[in-house]
Amino acid sequence: MDASSQYLSADHPDRADHLWRYTPWKKIHPTGDISDIPSDFSIPEVSLKAIDGSALPPGISLDMGDVHSEGLPDDEKITKSFLEAVTGESKFTLTVAPKFKSEVPMIIEISTSGTFCSAHICLDIGKLAELELVTVVRGTCKWFGMLRTGSTGEGAITSDVVVNKLEHGKLLRVESISIPRNSQFKAGTVSSGSTITKADLRYRMFQPGGNLNVLGSILSAREMSLDHHIEIYHDSPETFSRLDWNSACGGSSRTVGTGMLRVSKGSNGADAAQLFQNLLLSRDAQADSIPELEVSEHDVVGCGHGTASGPVDEDQMFYLASRGFSPNESKSTLIAAFLNSTLSEMGGDKMHGWLVSELDSDLSELGD
Amino acid sequence: MSGDSEAREAVGDYKAGWHDPENATIRFDFGLSEKVVRDISELKQEPEWMTEIRVKAYRHFVERPMPTWGNTEELMEIDFDKVCYFLRSSDETGSSWDDVPDDIRNTFDRLGIPEAEQKWLSGVTAQYESETVYHSIREDLEKQGVIFLDMDSGLKEHEDIVKKYFGSVIPYSDNKFSALNTAVWSGGSFIYVPKGVHVEMPVQAYFRINAKNMGQFERTLIIADEGSSIHYVEGCTAPTYSTDSLHSAVVELLALPGAHIRYTTVQNWSNNVYNLVTKRGVAHENAKIEWVDGNIGSKLTMKYPAVILKGEGAHAEVISVAYAGNGQHQDAGAKVHHMASNTTSNILSKSISKDGGRGSYRGMAKIMPKAENCRLNIVCDALILDEESRQDTYPTMEVGNPTAHCEHEASVSKVGDEQLFYLMSRGHTEAEALGMIVNGFFEPFTRELPMEYAVELNKLMSLEMEGSIG
Repeated sequence: MDASSQYLSADHPDRADHLWRYTPWKKIHPTGDISDIPSDFSIPEVSLKAIDGSALPPGISLDMGDVHSEGLPDDEKITKSFLEAVTGESKFTLTVAPKFKSEVPMIIEISTSGTFCSAHICLDIGKLAELELVTVVRGTCKWFGMLRTGSTGEGAITSDVVVNKLEHGKLLRVESISIPRNSQFKAGTVSSGSTITKADLRYRMFQPGGNLNVLGSILSAREMSLDHHIEIYHDSPETFSRLDWNSACGGSSRTVGTGMLRVSKGSNGADAAQLFQNLLLSRDAQADSIPELEVSEHDVVGCGHGTASGPVDEDQMFYLASRGFSPNESKSTLIAAFLNSTLSEMGGDKMHGWLVSELDSDLSELGD
Repeated sequence: MSGDSEAREAVGDYKAGWHDPENATIRFDFGLSEKVVRDISELKQEPEWMTEIRVKAYRHFVERPMPTWGNTEELMEIDFDKVCYFLRSSDETGSSWDDVPDDIRNTFDRLGIPEAEQKWLSGVTAQYESETVYHSIREDLEKQGVIFLDMDSGLKEHEDIVKKYFGSVIPYSDNKFSALNTAVWSGGSFIYVPKGVHVEMPVQAYFRINAKNMGQFERTLIIADEGSSIHYVEGCTAPTYSTDSLHSAVVELLALPGAHIRYTTVQNWSNNVYNLVTKRGVAHENAKIEWVDGNIGSKLTMKYPAVILKGEGAHAEVISVAYAGNGQHQDAGAKVHHMASNTTSNILSKSISKDGGRGSYRGMAKIMPKAENCRLNIVCDALILDEESRQDTYPTMEVGNPTAHCEHEASVSKVGDEQLFYLMSRGHTEAEALGMIVNGFFEPFTRELPMEYAVELNKLMSLEMEGSIG
């Protein structure tokens, strides 16, 4: 069955499912008519380069054409089949050779335009490779759908950060990444663009020694609605995961963070934790968190989750005021520090510097 | 082997699993229809408005689909046509245990209710099948104007109060099972505590299902007027059968300004009982509602005691424990809605699963946009004792006001080897050590119980832990 048929034959998602509780499929669908698969999708400009503008090192390439998605977990059917159907020829594979190593982070620039735009990017990272990668989405399209699938090689060390800088419109982002034996994977999300975002991010550790760190720095302002759902699967012994998700919420915006941590039977020695933190910056802002746990294995190191929501700390504001900061400066500084606590973990100094420079203008908007 | 003995063997040491011969004075046929609903109402000689509510609720129940969340597989196994919706065991409610039929009195003797009443209770209601068979209240409380009746008598004697508050906290349209309860409710407690009256000793209700395929649908309404306080304790047991029974209660609490209601439940249903209960309280200005909730038995429990903090300065406290053994799914949790400013809430949930049991915490905490300076704290701890068992947590937190401080934390773990080693090095067997650790794990709950309940619960948990190692 092709992707279109799969989508059309699938059951409509139920809002009782936390994935669809806050941003139902109808709201994020390009036309709102969920029985429709529009055909007029454009292909975005996609390019790979080094973050400092230097020449690409050998062993890494981005190629347009069919992607290999065999063997990937069959996750949520609706969005994945929809995106597979609408990405058509807009498919790209990032190939990283085994033992690839670069001091300079790589960047995939995606520039969108038109009404509907979509892309499927497949990660094919070789064994023992070491890579810092940023995928940044920019542009003016009204609806952008991005499907990212793939896997890392055994023993690979990857920092993979997705930055949403869409000027407006809707973003549907679906990810399905497999993490094999002794592989370390950092999955970062920096989101300060688009009016409505629905992200469904799934990471599966299917062999022993998998190590996953999911990080989020989310800035929502104006009337944005940023909804991120993260599922982490511990499907093998001795796996480790951490999720730290920080959202700063201003204007009349809404952020939603839902997490599902699944530890399957037989995944002894699993060590998993997730933490959602929300900073509420204005009277009309709203933050919702649902960190869920399903643990079917008793011999675990520990599985936990937490969530905390609150305003900017008055004691910290007072401390900065006593050092000569104005209220606005203090607030901006504290918001920046809050978001930076996850941002700084996403990669090395070069990547961090680049991410901070990208977010500066958005931070000042929240601080006002 | 007969069906009953098979079930008994499966359930093991469940102490309340015996049953008496069924001596019903009225027993409805299995199945639910509008006629059954009207017949129940007619039998009870209810006012017209109550009959109308029942019928509306029945129609809503029929139209409303089953929940699509939770343990949907187990829910779909409920056959509503194989449930008896009304069974009267005694023609009148006794005010002395001597008035209660011998077989029923013996049952409550074995459960220790009369003894507890003499020692430490202000009043007792004992419900057997669909209706109350015994009821008493201390004279001094009656003189202070405290009303403690079974719900049927409450409707007859205080129709105006019941009409005002019945369904005001949990309307029949709230969920499928509140609709079912509203349609066929029978028994339960009706309590009104006048302004400024403090009921020092707890009042207790005990709910016993005896017959096979029985449905018990008690309805409880507690109103604590301004500045008053009351502690209500309920216990539940049922015999062990190979066929399923259904318990679907609705409990509505109203704590008026400055009032304090503590509602303690220790349910120890047998493993053939579906326990699908809706409990909710409304706390007005500076009022306090506490749910102290223990879930030990049943096949499937879905119960999420809720508090709506409607008045400024109101406080909610939910302490719940759940033990999920073989063939059990304890899907329990709590809901708190902060509607007013300066309201606070604490939720503490403890859960253990063993022998293939499944424990789930499911919660909802909501801060409304106009509720300033609210505080909310949720802690969920779970222990998995063997490789067949499972624990889940599904908390939801929706924060709509920037002045709120909300925290939630949860953990799932196993019993620490070093804790077992420490206790065994002091001479305890492994099973004793495990029992002590489990009792310690539940201690935040047991310390809130009346002492007799706490001692009984500790014994029960120690029994459950026997044979869990090795």
